[in-house]
Amino acid sequence: MSMNTTNQDKFNARTQMNDNVCTVFLSGELDLSVAPDFRLVMEPLVSNGENDLIVNMKDMTYIDSTGIGILLSILKARHGMKAGFGVEEVPPQIQKLFDMTGIAKFFAKQENSQ
Amino acid sequence: MNTDVQRITLNLPASADYVDIVRLNLYGIASKIGFSYEEIEDMKVAVSEACNNSVLYAYGQDGGMVDVFFEVTQDYLSITVRDEGESFESNGRSEGSETLHDKELSDVQIGGLGFYLMEALMDEVSIKNQAGKGTEVVLTKRLSRSEEPV
Repeated sequence: MSMNTTNQDKFNARTQMNDNVCTVFLSGELDLSVAPDFRLVMEPLVSNGENDLIVNMKDMTYIDSTGIGILLSILKARHGMKAGFGVEEVPPQIQKLFDMTGIAKFFAKQENSQ
Repeated sequence: MNTDVQRITLNLPASADYVDIVRLNLYGIASKIGFSYEEIEDMKVAVSEACNNSVLYAYGQDGGMVDVFFEVTQDYLSITVRDEGESFESNGRSEGSETLHDKELSDVQIGGLGFYLMEALMDEVSIKNQAGKGTEVVLTKRLSRSEEPV
């Protein structure tokens, strides 16, 4: 993946494949400034319907509405492809925003269907 | 109310790369005057959303500046985010704040969440658009006096 060095300190994405499950480990702050980088990383992973896709948020410290908007567009795309998409190890301050905005219910539905 | 008001001013390029600088300053100021970790996290989100709006909608390709004023009193912290660009309502984004709670995934529109988060996470939000003179968002959080100061 291509990210410039200053943004890499701020936000990073690492991808791991395991038995048809692709997990993307995010760290740092997912905000407007790194949104293009995040979209770039996710694009090929989202369009591959063979694998389940999971975003691990354990090391994330911040997300803004831009980041939530990208997750929402991934949910829509994966739903349209009938492919799995979920989040795991969501820190409490981020889960709070997921609950407030209502995106949490879409992740919950995904979990139930697996 | 105590009349002693202290002001801290930031003047930054309206660029996504500087929004984290606003968050860092907010963190420093808010923790200094005794806000809790959760309150500071809430304010970080709200203030960033206000900055995002200026970055995205104020100036187009030419760029411009954003002013951020922190107003500190004994009772509250008030943060003003002001640009001198196009107001975002005039860019057809007047649908206001909305959540996803009553929507199906297929009906979901991306956008509008930023305003909702500002309103939900702060005690007071005021948004002033002046045609051709930019947008001013004022976000206020009251200091709860229930806890002993550190």
